[in-house]
This record gives sequence, C-alpha cells and structure tokens, in this order.
Amino acid sequence: MSQVYNWQLGREMEYPYEGKYPERQFAFVFNINRCIACQSCTMACKSTWTFSKGQEHMWWANVETKPYGGYPQFWDAKILELLHKANPDKQYWTGAVSDDRKSLYGQFAGMTIFEAAAKMLQPPSARVVGYLPTDEEWTSPNIYEDNPVGPKGARYKFHETGAQLPVHNTWFFYLARICNHCTYPACLAACPRKAIYKRPEDGIVLLDQSECRGYRKCVEACPYKKSMYRGNTRVSEKCVACYPRVEGTDPESNGEPLETRCMAACIGQIRMQGLVKLNPDGAWAEDRNHPLYYLVHVAKVALPLYPQLGTSPNGFYIPPRWVPRDYLHQMFGPGVERAIERYENPDRELLAVLQLFRRSNRIIYRYAVEEGPLAYEGPYRGKTIRIYNDTVIAFGKNGKEIFRTKVEEPLHVRPNKHQNSI
Amino acid sequence: MPYDDPDPDDPSVLVGVEAPAAEGSETEIAYVFAEEFARLGFSEERLLELFRHPFYAGANRALQILGEEKVRSIVRETMEVWGRLRLVIEDAPEGKAWDVSLNSLQPAGHSRPRANNEVDHESSV
Repeated sequence: MSQVYNWQLGREMEYPYEGKYPERQFAFVFNINRCIACQSCTMACKSTWTFSKGQEHMWWANVETKPYGGYPQFWDAKILELLHKANPDKQYWTGAVSDDRKSLYGQFAGMTIFEAAAKMLQPPSARVVGYLPTDEEWTSPNIYEDNPVGPKGARYKFHETGAQLPVHNTWFFYLARICNHCTYPACLAACPRKAIYKRPEDGIVLLDQSECRGYRKCVEACPYKKSMYRGNTRVSEKCVACYPRVEGTDPESNGEPLETRCMAACIGQIRMQGLVKLNPDGAWAEDRNHPLYYLVHVAKVALPLYPQLGTSPNGFYIPPRWVPRDYLHQMFGPGVERAIERYENPDRELLAVLQLFRRSNRIIYRYAVEEGPLAYEGPYRGKTIRIYNDTVIAFGKNGKEIFRTKVEEPLHVRPNKHQNSI
Repeated sequence: MPYDDPDPDDPSVLVGVEAPAAEGSETEIAYVFAEEFARLGFSEERLLELFRHPFYAGANRALQILGEEKVRSIVRETMEVWGRLRLVIEDAPEGKAWDVSLNSLQPAGHSRPRANNEVDHESSV
C-alpha cells in the first residue's frame, strides 16, 4: 500500500498504487434540488451505450429515490455497514470545515474501503472492502421507489383498471448517479488484471475489455457499484464518460469538447460537467473562473458523494434543502450545513454561475460575469433579495465564447434547427 | 411500493418506514420546487400544475399535506421575486459549430458496406 493524499478526507490514506494524477479531471456537479426523476439522463445513456443483448440490467446512469431505493438495491447501506463492522463506531469526522483546499471538510477519522481491507475477513489478495450484489439486487433499478403496483399476488401483470401510486409519508429526494471517475478508483485498485486505467489527459476511468477476464473484482470493489458484469460477453463494463464527446471527436462536436449524453439530456437542468485542472499532488489547482471549481472550492455548495469511502469521487452534489441534516451529513460529509446555508442565500456570483447549467452542450472551461444594474430588490422569506441584471459569459476550450446569458426579457426560443442539438 | 408490511427485522428495507423529518420540511420542499422552477422560467400556472401532478411525487406530496391554498401562496410569493425575470440566452456569434455535414455523421468502425436490412446491436467484444 502507498500513502496518497485525499483532500476530501483532509488527510493521507492508504491506496494500493502510488498516486498518479491526470492533467485535467472529468468532474460534474448535480443540483439535487431540481431533480424530478424524469429519467431522461438514464435513457440517454441507455440508448447510447447499453442497449444490447446482455446489458438489460445495466444502467450506467440511474436516478434513485433516497432513502428508499438504490441501484443495485441497498448499495450504500451495505457498504456503510461493512465499514461499520470493520471499524465499529469510529467512522466519524473531526476538525472543522475550512477554506483550506486540502481539508475543506475537516478530517475523516474513520477507515476508508482501502484501509478497512486489512481488518476484514477477506482473502489476503483483497485490496478493497466490498461485496458482490445479488442478481436480484441488480434486476429492478427502481423497485420500491415510485413505481406503482397492482393487487397482491398478481405480479408481473398490467392492472386492468390502473394501479395506485406509492405514498412516501416522509421526506425523500432523487439521487442521480453515474460513475464518479474517482481520483483513487476502487475498481482499478481491485483489478488483478490491471485492465482498468485512468486516462492521463482527462482522468476518465476506462475498462479495457480485451484485458478483462470477468473476475468481477471491480464490481465487488466499487463502493458506488458502477462497474457491472455482462454475462454474455463474460467481461465487465462501466461508464465511459462519453469519451468521444469529451475528447471533441464526436462528429457533432466539430472538435469542441461536448458534455456527456446524460448531462446534455437533463431537462431539469440540474447538471454541469467539465474538466478541472489538477495540481501534481492530485488536489484541484486554483482556477477561480472555472464553474466547477467555483461551486466546489469557492462557494462550496457542491459536495462529494460519500467522501468517507475514500475513493475521492469526482461527482459533486448540491444537497437537497429539505432533508434532515443527519442523513445528508452521512451522505455528503460535514460540508452540508455550509453548502445549504449558502445555496439558500445565494450571492450575486453564485446566482450567475447557476445560470450556466445546461445552457449549452459544450464543456465550459471558464466563465466571466459582466455586472449589470440592480433588477430587483425586495423581501423574500424574511430576507432582502437583490437580483442583478448581470451577464454571464461561458468560454470553451479554445477560449472562444460559447454563449452568454442574462436575466431579463425577452425569452429567447432556440431556432428549429437547434432544437435537437443535445 | 411493498406488497407486504415492512419487516421490522430487515435493516435494509426502509419502504413504508417513516423516517423523522425536520419540522416544516414539506413547506421547505414546496419553496424549493417553486424557486427552482420559477428560475427556470415556469409561469405561475405551470408551477401549480407541477404541484398537482401525481407523478411529480415530491411536489405533489407537499401539496397534499399543505393544501392548495398554502401552496398557491408559496408559489405566488416565489413568483413575486423569481418570476419577474426572464433568461436571455445568446449563442456565440459564430453559430457554425452545429452545422454538421452529413458526411461527418458516417458511422465509425464499419468499413464494410451494410445491407439495407442488416441490424447489428452487438458490441464488437
């Protein structure tokens, strides 16, 4: 095991390989407050990558209802339980949230899935604590969530007079997920064939199917369960981050990097994806006008999913405002209170950056804000809200402007020839 | 939705179990949906439709608990601030980026010509 620095944990941790970091890292921010589980992302991915025989159970992108659902079922409860068994009652955070980019959320005092491996009853070759979900857990991506059912005893049949929708007598929210293209991927660490690699140019984690022998160590190790086994080819598969789009080699892109299919298809406009600069030590390099850098490191409204697992995931979430803080704390770490407080009371720049979500399918590398006059000032929920007619300008890879957006009439309708350009 | 009552011995299945929520969480969810979609340019009527639609389960549940009048007042209060704004999106002047020639859309990786009725959904693995 090597010692690597994990900025999300605020400390060094053990990892089976030496730290190697890409020039830029594929990363994304999802604003959960907006997600309505329309599953457009899910289907965009499905229809692009996993529509073939043998991939029926395979959903690289999915949206699940928390806390009820999961794909595969119970994935997060099970991995948290395993860690609890390895390190009972010691999976907690210490220190305070800070502005230090190397320990933004304090320090995690517990064990990661790599550190717990040595303590668990596993074969000596095991490098990561994990488990293999059962076939049943993979089978129904949204079972027990918002799916209606018919009468008891009549399974797998349409109900002639319609069915009743479930009622959740409590809070819930929708969690959209794809592979996090982790900085310290558990799938990569666990693969005995070294068939999984992280690309030096963009940090996308890919699985070389010609090297894979279907041992499913990656499926077992990935705590987010985003590596999946395909029975008819006997090799594993995973999200490829739509790499032809990110590279700009998709025919549609004319050489400019495009966001992935799941991002571009999001009708709720909850998603933004980009490529962030990394320092040689794997931490995010300061890039003040990159929208993802701003959301994660400046405004600090976007948080990693289960950072305590230790893989340093590159998917970040603006947490839902209505959910009990204890639950969010477990899911997104100690930065939750700060993130929600700032998101509830957005300042001028945050409001501007939020306008960048889903205005284009091209990857934004930089933004600029041209300040405009005060457009509205008035009371709202006991506070004074000020909205400025600022213009936000997004720039692409080559430094050229992609689009600009501001907040006043008239509403612009895209011409017909652009309607399907996602 | 479960067919049976939740099994209290099963720690994983939360279906049907009421998890405690902070007081006022329904009001908060109503404000969140109203704010987010008002910022996206929804009208007052369209926002209310979203709350009334049973398939938008979160918003609809808030409507059922809070009642139409309360939700209407939240929507009105939200629209008063966020609804007065309209977003203007201007693509960059060189709009040529999306004018893709048909030749560039030829499928990659198939060097041999295909028959009209040939369908190949299998990967090359």
